[in-house]
Amino acid sequence: MTGTRDPQQHGSIQAMLSDSGLESAAELRSALEQLGAVVPDQAPAPRADLAALLAGGVAASTMPGATAPARVAPQTVDSGAPSGVAEDVEPGTGEAEPNAVVSLEDRRRGRKRRLAIVGGAVIGAMSLGAGAVAASSEDFRHSVSRTVGVMFQPAGHAGPATEHVQPSPTDVPAIPAPGATPAPNGTPSVPPAGTATSSTASRDASSDGKTRATTAPTGPPAVGRDGILPTPSQRPVTPGIPGAPGQGNGNGNGKDLPRTPGNVTPSLPGVVPNFPDR
Amino acid sequence: MAQQLSDDELSAALAGDPSGFSAVYAAISPAVLGYFRARGVDDAEALTQDVFVDVLPKLASVTGGHAGLRTFIFSVAHARLVDYRRRAERTPYLAEYDPLNDARSSASAEDEVLGSLGGISDTLAGLNEEQREVLVLRIVADLSIEQVAGIMDKTPGAIKQLQRRGLSALRELVTEKDHAAS
Repeated sequence: MTGTRDPQQHGSIQAMLSDSGLESAAELRSALEQLGAVVPDQAPAPRADLAALLAGGVAASTMPGATAPARVAPQTVDSGAPSGVAEDVEPGTGEAEPNAVVSLEDRRRGRKRRLAIVGGAVIGAMSLGAGAVAASSEDFRHSVSRTVGVMFQPAGHAGPATEHVQPSPTDVPAIPAPGATPAPNGTPSVPPAGTATSSTASRDASSDGKTRATTAPTGPPAVGRDGILPTPSQRPVTPGIPGAPGQGNGNGNGKDLPRTPGNVTPSLPGVVPNFPDR
Repeated sequence: MAQQLSDDELSAALAGDPSGFSAVYAAISPAVLGYFRARGVDDAEALTQDVFVDVLPKLASVTGGHAGLRTFIFSVAHARLVDYRRRAERTPYLAEYDPLNDARSSASAEDEVLGSLGGISDTLAGLNEEQREVLVLRIVADLSIEQVAGIMDKTPGAIKQLQRRGLSALRELVTEKDHAAS
């Protein structure tokens, strides 16, 4: 039954062994030759449908009225090979489907149509219900109108409200009265003034004496009370904190800078322009 | 020895000539039958004929000459083998109760079929599924690395690796078997 070995097959076994580096394994070669001897000499006798196919060719087998092999058609549908074999086997070559094969195209189309019909029915029922409720209940209409009004009311008033939030630049100088409210460099100017004068005080203490070096950080206003005022020539050293309010009046009294932006006193003309943000 | 397929017969088969069909069947069906036997199919002849019933009407779409035809036929055979395995897993094995055979350790039908091959059946059973498939397709179906890669949907490098490991494992099994026999 099992025929002789093919010389070509013998060469393929030799090639396999040489590719794997096992050409010297005689026992493996005999095992592979034994495996290759499984191929029989003769083809098996064809059964009836295959014999008809071999005798009549493709034309007879693909005719619509031809007797299709009953046990092959389900396998054609069922063949779920992991490789791309199914695509090679399955593509239709114009064959008529056997009776045992049910086309899924109509089922898919009917399913889509059914989904569309059910969706339309649900939406129509919901709209009908909402319309009935609106027509029967007066409270519902009031609540709907109130809700719609609430929804659109902020949008209608949002424009003028936001316009009032931002003051125009022309209003800013008009708000602080020169005598009524303290200047921006009034009360909050004490801590920055202390920090500003501490550096100058420590510098003065290092130059003048020893005791002032310890008292300078604890009492920054004491520098002003002792009469040690920074000279105008030392002012440009301090712009390390340029944005601090009240930085200009180093003595804490607020006499150096004008209270209002518009009224610049000509008494200290060289002091004020030295600040970068003033 | 199975007959070889000539170019004229191949052309006739691809053109739909029944004489070409017969030549293709006579040339390649023994290899397909051996492939199914080596893989342990209980009714290998029926499965072989199923393959050719499926293949012959589609020969007009085959390209690649002899190698393409062989690859196509063994692709279908591989798919049928996968179908057979899945169907066999789902189908319960029904048999009448025979007390004489109730040894609780009887061999399965696959073992019996593989046992008919000789000593190679036990040896092949020691390999894993992919190694066995590669070796059978390479030796029994006489396919190249690239053809086996196309059938098993793997790269040629993966097929080479499977072949090398399968041969190494087969060598160890054969050596152990020889030592046990001696």
